[in-house]
Amino acid sequence: MNSELKAFTFGVVGVTLVLSAILVTVYGAETGRVVQALAVRTPLLLSGSPDFSRFEGGFAANIIISLWAMLIAGITGVALGIGLIAQSAAVRTPSVLVMNILRNSPWLVVLYAMLYLLPFEVDLFGTTFFLSPLVKSVIGLALPVTANIAEVFRGGVEAIPSGQWESARSLGYRRLQILRHVVVPQAIPFMTPNLMTTYAMLFIGTSLVVVTGAADVLSVARTVIASDGAHYATAIYLYVLFLFFIFCFPIAILTRWLERRVRVRQ
Amino acid sequence: MTLDFSWLADPLYQQWLLRGLGTTILMSLLGIVLMFIIGIAGAACIHFRLPVLETLTTILVELFRNTPPLVQLFFLYFMLSEIGLTLTDSATGRSIPLFSGFTCVVLSLGLYNGAIAVEIIRSGLLAVPSQTVEGARSLGYSRLQTFRHVELPIGLRMSIPAMTNNVVSLIKTSSQAVLVAVADIMYGATQIMLETFRNLEVMILIWIIYVVIASLAVVAARRIAAAVRIPGYGM
Repeated sequence: MNSELKAFTFGVVGVTLVLSAILVTVYGAETGRVVQALAVRTPLLLSGSPDFSRFEGGFAANIIISLWAMLIAGITGVALGIGLIAQSAAVRTPSVLVMNILRNSPWLVVLYAMLYLLPFEVDLFGTTFFLSPLVKSVIGLALPVTANIAEVFRGGVEAIPSGQWESARSLGYRRLQILRHVVVPQAIPFMTPNLMTTYAMLFIGTSLVVVTGAADVLSVARTVIASDGAHYATAIYLYVLFLFFIFCFPIAILTRWLERRVRVRQ
Repeated sequence: MTLDFSWLADPLYQQWLLRGLGTTILMSLLGIVLMFIIGIAGAACIHFRLPVLETLTTILVELFRNTPPLVQLFFLYFMLSEIGLTLTDSATGRSIPLFSGFTCVVLSLGLYNGAIAVEIIRSGLLAVPSQTVEGARSLGYSRLQTFRHVELPIGLRMSIPAMTNNVVSLIKTSSQAVLVAVADIMYGATQIMLETFRNLEVMILIWIIYVVIASLAVVAARRIAAAVRIPGYGM
């Protein structure tokens, strides 16, 4: 992990320096006051509450949304991925079509479409579920990510030599059984780095949920700017950039480390 | 649920959509050009191990790759107006920002996807067979000439598949322009939604348009890949 650790330290220190340099260049002598204002607003930006009492908004909301979306997209993505490698064209062709449409559509458009496509409330087994903006953004983000995960799944399965399939077949396993017991367990090391990249991409994408009205870090930032004055906008967006970087960069570094380990083992 | 697309017949809406489509395509094309300039310049900085520039490029690439393009866009938009880059309009005497929303979007697309392009081109350069590079050196090419005439042309060809994904991502990311009030196709769509309340239908149309543009870009990239193919270099 040595070279990655070095890259990590280098990146974190370097980016912090670059962002601070921008802050000082923009605000000059006022920097101290601006940093103080940022410190006051930190709990709000991180947790959506002024004193860390609840973790429902701000950056915490981004993390929650990304985890739920990843969970849902994981399930649907594997299902679509199995469709992609199906033997019968009747299953494969629609799966490829759906994958391509989902992969080529902008996340923002999918989010907007979900905002209007999904009803405000759903009656299920006699109970009424209200679909909050949070739920809608989770679904809207999970859709394009489904395509990415399906692609990762197919790539991982295809990396397994066909001999594995043939020997499992000769032992009497059926196709789905082969996938479940033979191929997928071996493919998981290949898939993990790509899945982590997908998660990092999804997390970066959660910045878009600001359009659905969920209380994510960007909408909190906009509220703060509206109350503190547009003068602070640069500082607050710099701060949000830093938050996203500090969350996503370790994932990227871990991915690189895993990739190298997988390559070495081959 | 019935879908009603009759609003599409309105010439005014058609005009909005077409004009927006033009802006989106222009924005994407300019973004792609900027992306290639940044990508090649950054990859060259890392490739030649230029003392300060290599460090700076690495840091900036990490920064831009690991943060949302939307926040980058907002940041650029507000920072450029904060540090007061304004022009005085000679006709009205008002000061207007030097960088409009459109420029900010092109800049942010170029920076975000350019940072990814740096990595893509760099790995393309690494994939150039060392024998080819050594051959060029032994023929008397200088390091710069080798880069210009041998490594870059082959490296760029090697990076076409990954670059295609990056271009598609750029086109998709350009839809964020609507959030800084650039009159792109999403903006036209928002206007139509406000007037007709046919939200779902408009969004489905926009969805289809983006899928078509992105698919066209993929087809174009495949054509380019086939046209510039060098037999024997594994492409």
